[in-house]
Amino acid sequence: MHINPILNNVWLKFLFLKWMWYKPRLIFTILIIMLLSPKTDWLGNIKGDILAGIVVALALIPEAIAFSVIAGVDPKVGLYASFAIAVMIAFVGGRAGMISAATAATALLMVTLVKQFGLQYLLAASVLAGVLQIVAGYLNLHKFMSFVSKSVMTGFLNALAILIFMAQLPELTDVTWQVYALVALGLGIIYLFPYVPYIGKILPSPLVNIISLTILAYYLKIDVRTINDMGDLPDTLPIFLWPDIPFTWETLKIIFPYSASIAIVGLLESLMTASVIDELTDTESDKKRECKGQGIANIGSGLIGGMAGCAMIGQSIINVKSGGRGRLSTLVAGVFLLVLVVFLSDILKIVPMAALVAVMIMVSIGTFSWSSIKELKTNPKNSSIVMIATVIVVVYTHNLAFGVFTGILIGSLFLAQKLSQFMYVKSNYTDENDTRTYHVVGQVFFNSSDKFISYFDFKEAVDKIVINVKRAHFYDITAVAALDKVVIKLRREGTDVTIVGLNSASETMLDKFAVHDNPDEIDKIMGGH
Amino acid sequence: MINKYILVGIDGSSISDSLLQYAIWLAKSNGMTIKLLHTIEHSHNTENLHHEGNLTPNIRRELLKELSNEEREKSKKLLAKGKEILNSAKQSIIEAGLTDVVAKLRHGTLPEAIEDLSDEIALVMLGSKGKDHQNNESGLGFHLENAIKSTTTPVFIAKKEFTQPKKVMFAYNGSPTSKRALEMISQDTIYKEPLEIHIVSVSNDQELTKNLVTEAENILANSSATVIKKTLKGDTLQQLTNYQEKNKIDITAMGAFSHGKLHGFFFGSFTTKMIQQSDTNFLLIR
Repeated sequence: MHINPILNNVWLKFLFLKWMWYKPRLIFTILIIMLLSPKTDWLGNIKGDILAGIVVALALIPEAIAFSVIAGVDPKVGLYASFAIAVMIAFVGGRAGMISAATAATALLMVTLVKQFGLQYLLAASVLAGVLQIVAGYLNLHKFMSFVSKSVMTGFLNALAILIFMAQLPELTDVTWQVYALVALGLGIIYLFPYVPYIGKILPSPLVNIISLTILAYYLKIDVRTINDMGDLPDTLPIFLWPDIPFTWETLKIIFPYSASIAIVGLLESLMTASVIDELTDTESDKKRECKGQGIANIGSGLIGGMAGCAMIGQSIINVKSGGRGRLSTLVAGVFLLVLVVFLSDILKIVPMAALVAVMIMVSIGTFSWSSIKELKTNPKNSSIVMIATVIVVVYTHNLAFGVFTGILIGSLFLAQKLSQFMYVKSNYTDENDTRTYHVVGQVFFNSSDKFISYFDFKEAVDKIVINVKRAHFYDITAVAALDKVVIKLRREGTDVTIVGLNSASETMLDKFAVHDNPDEIDKIMGGH
Repeated sequence: MINKYILVGIDGSSISDSLLQYAIWLAKSNGMTIKLLHTIEHSHNTENLHHEGNLTPNIRRELLKELSNEEREKSKKLLAKGKEILNSAKQSIIEAGLTDVVAKLRHGTLPEAIEDLSDEIALVMLGSKGKDHQNNESGLGFHLENAIKSTTTPVFIAKKEFTQPKKVMFAYNGSPTSKRALEMISQDTIYKEPLEIHIVSVSNDQELTKNLVTEAENILANSSATVIKKTLKGDTLQQLTNYQEKNKIDITAMGAFSHGKLHGFFFGSFTTKMIQQSDTNFLLIR
């Protein structure tokens, strides 16, 4: 069916208004929710939230389009996703004032799925990712975030910034000089426009960049790529649709790995962003609710033809900077995004890609932790290695989850290494009864057990050996086995071996004794002797 | 007696002054120590709105610096103001002849602070509306209901200019809450000197109301109060407020918020309506 594009647009606007008009029950319900929830959630900062939401929506549009390009789908997929996720997370998220939408981190994971199997499989993968996130929420997996050290987090953000920048490279290679000129001009506007007196602080400079470059390219008839070349913009309001895929075991096998990656990366970025916003606004968030909320939002996004997303660190910071604090800001951002896209789709089509590239370079610059480069010299070497390893693995695999796991793993190894340094054995010899006494002090576990064994002089022929383990902590069965080994070896040499203080030493076998959070128990083990 | 403090929440509004007078009156009578409380509420909303919407290098760090500096300035001002309010209140208490007074300045909301401090408190005293919510339509402070619910001790709510209270109306309906409330009053812990207590019961069942007021009189038998019994017919809210006006009641005492959350949501709380529509001070007992 062919519809005249102009007519189509009028029809769309009509549909939108009709939809708004016929949803009084929905709007009424939303109002009730807002009135009943804590004031800081929805209605504590109305003016700030609405203005910030508009600023965010304006910046969300270029990002949603750019991330669609990364994933290899039509811009409408990212725009629908950003609308759906932002609107839903406003209600079901755990962190007021955080912005979630289509993101680079999740888009990067979808590239091969889209290339090989097409959009419908991506939609199904988004829904499944959402389901997995809800399960993760119920399993309290957010608690594992405590393993993510500061270095890993810095590495994550730096890697994300690098990936976002790298995703712009296709738009910057094999292009005419005009593209470079436009991008440079765009960046100039983004960073310098805020210094213009008065209007600089009112008009979002990324928007000024888009408008200026569009006008420039259109009226000078500069031949550059525009959004229209990237694929379809939304041509209808989002509609509810099951992904058109065969519901078979085969399908599940295809999408599951993608869904799992998307779910993990989405939660990682969302929880990290939540703690960034917690810190910036000096308020608290409900991390469990956030996990479940991300899941619900992704399911919703997949069912209206959008891709999976998560919290966006850059946009959330822009929101806070613009004065957004409540859930209202996220809702306004999502709704305003859809309104803009529906009403301005004809204008959006002629926006040059260079303007979007400039916005994305800005996001990349803002996400990168520049101070972390300076801190490479001053931070402990181990921390720097963890950070750099995280970045390298992410840039190589394009999967932020792998980077984070690598960072956590290396960090844990460093910790084990450090902990094993806190162990030594000293010994003294008493002549009268030909006895050597070994005093073991410190942490004996898998990584220090070889070191523990090496302290013993098995060649020394004495009658009696006393091993005093009263001040030692035996953490695991490797440590206990090492002690066994020493005792057996010494007994074979014909020595009488006595172990002193085994009770207090084995108390530290944390597998046996649940220490948990009882400060008395911890004192007994760690500080008591 | 273990509980020996009267917690008085003040915020420098006009009702705070009269509240303080009531607190002094009570403290002189029952010998408790006044503990003044002022809370500093942080909104975490920023006033420096910038809508340039761009991300500059190291923006996280700079934004954190900017926001924490802004809040620091605001907090410092609020702290200074809070101290001033507390000090002037302290001054007037000492001038009134009471030597013991404790002043507490806390961050957070009033209900939070009351909950945190509830340990050694025998009575909480609040103004009917706070400074930040003086234009509230309902005429009640934003936090009042939550504040009352945050403690198990009786709550005194000042609504009027201070006049030496003489007449107390007790709204009695025989419910466990109101029975407990009456028992509490009968022990004379809150106020030691004899007052005139009007026991009022409203119902269309005259038999019932008669029994109720007699029951109440028996509970009060050992107290020093002069008891006046009254049974009324008709709409509870209206009859009670009418009676208050006619008899120039100073303090209305009642059991409060005995219904659950759900009931309160659908029908509105009777206690809240009562406080809104009466022109007396209140003593609410949970």
